[in-house]
Amino acid sequence: MKKMIDQFGESMKTARRWRNASKAAIAVSALSFVASCGRDAPQDTWQPAGPNAERIDNLQRPVFYVAGVVGVIVFAAVAWSMYRYRDRGQAIPEQTHGKPAVEIVLTVIPVLILLGVAIPTASTIFKLAETSDTEMTINVTGQQWWWEYDYPAVGSNIEQYGITAPIVTAGQLVIPENTKVLLRVTSRDVIHSYWIPKLNGKKDSVPGRVHLLRMEGSKPGIYAGQCTEFCGLSHAYMRMEAVVLSRADYDKWVANQLEEYTVPEIGTDAAAGESVFIQQCSRCHQVNGLKNSDGSLNIAAPEQNLVSGAAPNLTNLMTRNTFAGASWDLLTPECRDNVWNASSADFGERYLAGVSTECLNQKDLREWLRNAPAKKPMYADPTKLASTGGLYRGMPDLGLTEDQINVIVAYLLERK
Amino acid sequence: MTIIDRPSTDVAIAGGAPAGVKPSEALGVFKRPAASTSWRDWVVTVDHKKLGIMYGVTAFFFFIVGGVEALLIRLQLISPDGKVLNADQYNQMFTMHATTMVFLFVMPMAAAFANYFVPLQIGARDVAFPRLNAFGFWCFLFGGLFLNSSWFLGGGADGGWFMYAPNSSTLFSPSHGIDFWTLGLQITGIASLTGAINLIVTVLNMRAPGMKMMRMPIFTWMVLVTQFLLLFAIPVITVALFLLTFQRSFDATFFDVASGADPLLWQHLFWIFGHPEVYIMILPSFGIISEVLPVFSKKPLFGYPIVAMSGAAIGFVGWGVWAHHMFASGLGPVSVTVFSMATMAIAVPTGVKIVNWVMTMWGGKLSFTVPMLFAIALVVQFTIGGLSGVTHAVAPSDTQQTDTYYIVAHFHYVLFGGAVFGLFSGFYYWWPKMFRRQLNDALGKWNFWLMLIGMNLTFGPMHILGLQGQPRRMGVWTEGRAGEGFFNFGFWNRVASIGSFVLGIGVLMFLVNVLYTHKSKKVAISPLDPWDARTLEWMTHNPPQEHNFDTIPTVGHLDEFFHRKYETDSLTHSVKQVHSAEEVMAELNAHPDEHIHMPSRSYWPILLAMSLPVIGYGLIYNRMLMAVGVSLVLLTMFGWSMEPSTSPDDDFDPPAPGEGGGHTKELSPLG
Repeated sequence: MKKMIDQFGESMKTARRWRNASKAAIAVSALSFVASCGRDAPQDTWQPAGPNAERIDNLQRPVFYVAGVVGVIVFAAVAWSMYRYRDRGQAIPEQTHGKPAVEIVLTVIPVLILLGVAIPTASTIFKLAETSDTEMTINVTGQQWWWEYDYPAVGSNIEQYGITAPIVTAGQLVIPENTKVLLRVTSRDVIHSYWIPKLNGKKDSVPGRVHLLRMEGSKPGIYAGQCTEFCGLSHAYMRMEAVVLSRADYDKWVANQLEEYTVPEIGTDAAAGESVFIQQCSRCHQVNGLKNSDGSLNIAAPEQNLVSGAAPNLTNLMTRNTFAGASWDLLTPECRDNVWNASSADFGERYLAGVSTECLNQKDLREWLRNAPAKKPMYADPTKLASTGGLYRGMPDLGLTEDQINVIVAYLLERK
Repeated sequence: MTIIDRPSTDVAIAGGAPAGVKPSEALGVFKRPAASTSWRDWVVTVDHKKLGIMYGVTAFFFFIVGGVEALLIRLQLISPDGKVLNADQYNQMFTMHATTMVFLFVMPMAAAFANYFVPLQIGARDVAFPRLNAFGFWCFLFGGLFLNSSWFLGGGADGGWFMYAPNSSTLFSPSHGIDFWTLGLQITGIASLTGAINLIVTVLNMRAPGMKMMRMPIFTWMVLVTQFLLLFAIPVITVALFLLTFQRSFDATFFDVASGADPLLWQHLFWIFGHPEVYIMILPSFGIISEVLPVFSKKPLFGYPIVAMSGAAIGFVGWGVWAHHMFASGLGPVSVTVFSMATMAIAVPTGVKIVNWVMTMWGGKLSFTVPMLFAIALVVQFTIGGLSGVTHAVAPSDTQQTDTYYIVAHFHYVLFGGAVFGLFSGFYYWWPKMFRRQLNDALGKWNFWLMLIGMNLTFGPMHILGLQGQPRRMGVWTEGRAGEGFFNFGFWNRVASIGSFVLGIGVLMFLVNVLYTHKSKKVAISPLDPWDARTLEWMTHNPPQEHNFDTIPTVGHLDEFFHRKYETDSLTHSVKQVHSAEEVMAELNAHPDEHIHMPSRSYWPILLAMSLPVIGYGLIYNRMLMAVGVSLVLLTMFGWSMEPSTSPDDDFDPPAPGEGGGHTKELSPLG
């Protein structure tokens, strides 16, 4: 009897030890659950905001759960054998070399689980590669270290969305909500990768190839992304944002993008800025409709100055919220929060307001104009340009004076 | 079979040496170096055990180099907009960290174990081609030094270890870092290739009598599979590296888009090598723990044939999954589906191994020694890495995860938590065999727990970081993308960085342990069979003499050594010890082999290997120097071929029976 009581006490002790251990395990898993789910990182891959990303999410959640369960079973088996079969002076075990039945069962089970995963995987791959339902096409081109968006004036882009002339922008992709947009992704130099996690998985932009990527947002808002293929020196500074607008707001955005160039009023800082811009910036940066002093159209020639042969089009710079590969905001933090945290209903109006004088993030923009490669590494060192035949790998240090910077900022503020 | 009769000394051996001249005096410079106990012996040695130790010491040195690079990376990322490294330095750092860890640590450390223990485990006296073996080691050493000399000559490679074209062209990477990288890896590739051929021939031809393939220790099995993977994978990367060298040094246009090239060519070449490479790194560690788990469970490996065959299956299917590194590269849905399915398929043999390890422990008699702890940790951590691997075998899910920290977490769980923990298990398990002393248990436990905690603190949070959208290979991360609240990117990056230093201290504890074990007077000489082991390598002295075994055993069982020590009652299946290890060895050596011929030392492997980096530097800096290098290579190859095939002082005549057990020449450089 006493022996039994002792045994009981022993097993209770064991049970208590296990209960404590499982309490700790639950606490740890709860903590990591809270930690991983309760957050709001802009690039969270578990918060889809469009049907393509949702399709991925619907596929991967069950896979994660199944993986979690399998993991727990394996860990439990390891922990149990460590506890149960630890050396307590028992006899040397029988020298069994395996049990075929156990082996077969434990091989077939993972096969079945993986088959269960494989079938929906295959169907999702093909659904995400579908292109026949496209409603709008946008060309997306990566280069060191920013993205260009070209909304071509073709087909449904003209008929449905009034894009009667090509719109070329950078930094922010702007698309209408609930529209099946097809991105035609390519590159001008090295391989980059286009990724807006809340809208879809990523797709590499490879020079010489055009890859197709579906993009669709379910509600107005702004969605962050980041170049995810290592693309050289400033890979970390190659970001992007996708802006989803309601259909009505999108029409306004298109109309604004297609507006004629407005010449700055004579005598203003902006007018002085225009001439500095023509001297210093228009070698690479295009502003549509800008005229030289002799009345001829000013056409930028980035192909003569840059390795990638392209620089961001600045025609409507201040309709975007970011610059320099979406690495810095054109809006002050308060104004930025105002846009990013707007409700779906308010978002379009606040976004379309663009960047006002009060909201302009003067600090970063001026630092950029003062010495761009000091802010974002772009091989500023001229000795490193030997391999490129003197072509720049990004914006060089232009050596602008503070006066020049003042008037350029004034000029740029009118670009919207 | 491995015993070759000594050639008669009065036969002219090489190039018509006059009759009557001893081979060791033949042909002046071509004579073979004599045995000695000085450091010179390490330079000219062809002994697989010395070479194994040299592989190990060199690989550990590079492990520390790669580790320092890793710590600098984590310091940079501990806070947003890090200032420790600039963008250029950061890119070099992560490129060289991966390159060093893959090519200069994990692969050669596995080669160290393979070199030392495969001949012992199969009851051979050396490998099939001893000079080639030495040549392989020196290629690895000089290739690694050549690669790392780039740090002092304008900076390391900056294109990532995957070195995707066209970012690797001179236009986008004008420094010489990538030239050092391609040429350095080419040289270390020679080590892998010669090593592969050598070990394959050794395992297939030089097993002790009675050791059928299905009686081979499982470590030898896994090494054999690994060598076949190397044999076919290394030529692929060799071709790719040649193409890149020609592109960078001779203006070829293999990856030049403007000339009509498709940069995806490089990706296919790289990953056709690169995916088998991950199995090349993990299978030797699988082999190690498949030895360690049975020993410390006092049970044979559960399902030995299935473990061996699943290793071979991984070796085959491993060739059909390379494009899962390219799910975002734009392959098209059919290819993506095929590779996605194949990747899931490879999870089956891998899962089988895990099941067999758990079943080996199940019902055993487990003692939690340090090697056992590392082995169990491998099982658990590899399971985590394997399961996260399944989540990105699901291609659509992978398009969200690839190139994020989730992938970094995944492959560090399989490579650090898996491969490296397996190697550490091997250190502790085989240390007494190699150096006559057991590493200190208490320090070993500190070593283990700090590494375990550090590893999980470092790489665990990276799962969360990746799923929350932090991409890899970014020299800075920004608070703008870090999310809200306490558990944002900042928190997890700090945890990972702190964890990496815990991990670093854990690795240092190993070095402390080695120093303590070999410097402290208190550490006793290890018994002959400290772990009650099961395989042939324990059936000889610690460390083994140069000729490994006085008598080559005849093998009748899997786990031959265990069967000589223990007997199973055929009715009750109870197991009892009938002989001690010493008795087994005494019985074996009662009739020692006569006239053991051992391969002779040679100058030429190191000289030939030293000539290769000269070509490398020449290619980068001066074509005349290159010509010098090529001439040196030709000369040393000539010298190698003219060398007499043997020297008399390498033969070994064992003591007559009754004179006491063998001789006492020691190998240990530390003990």
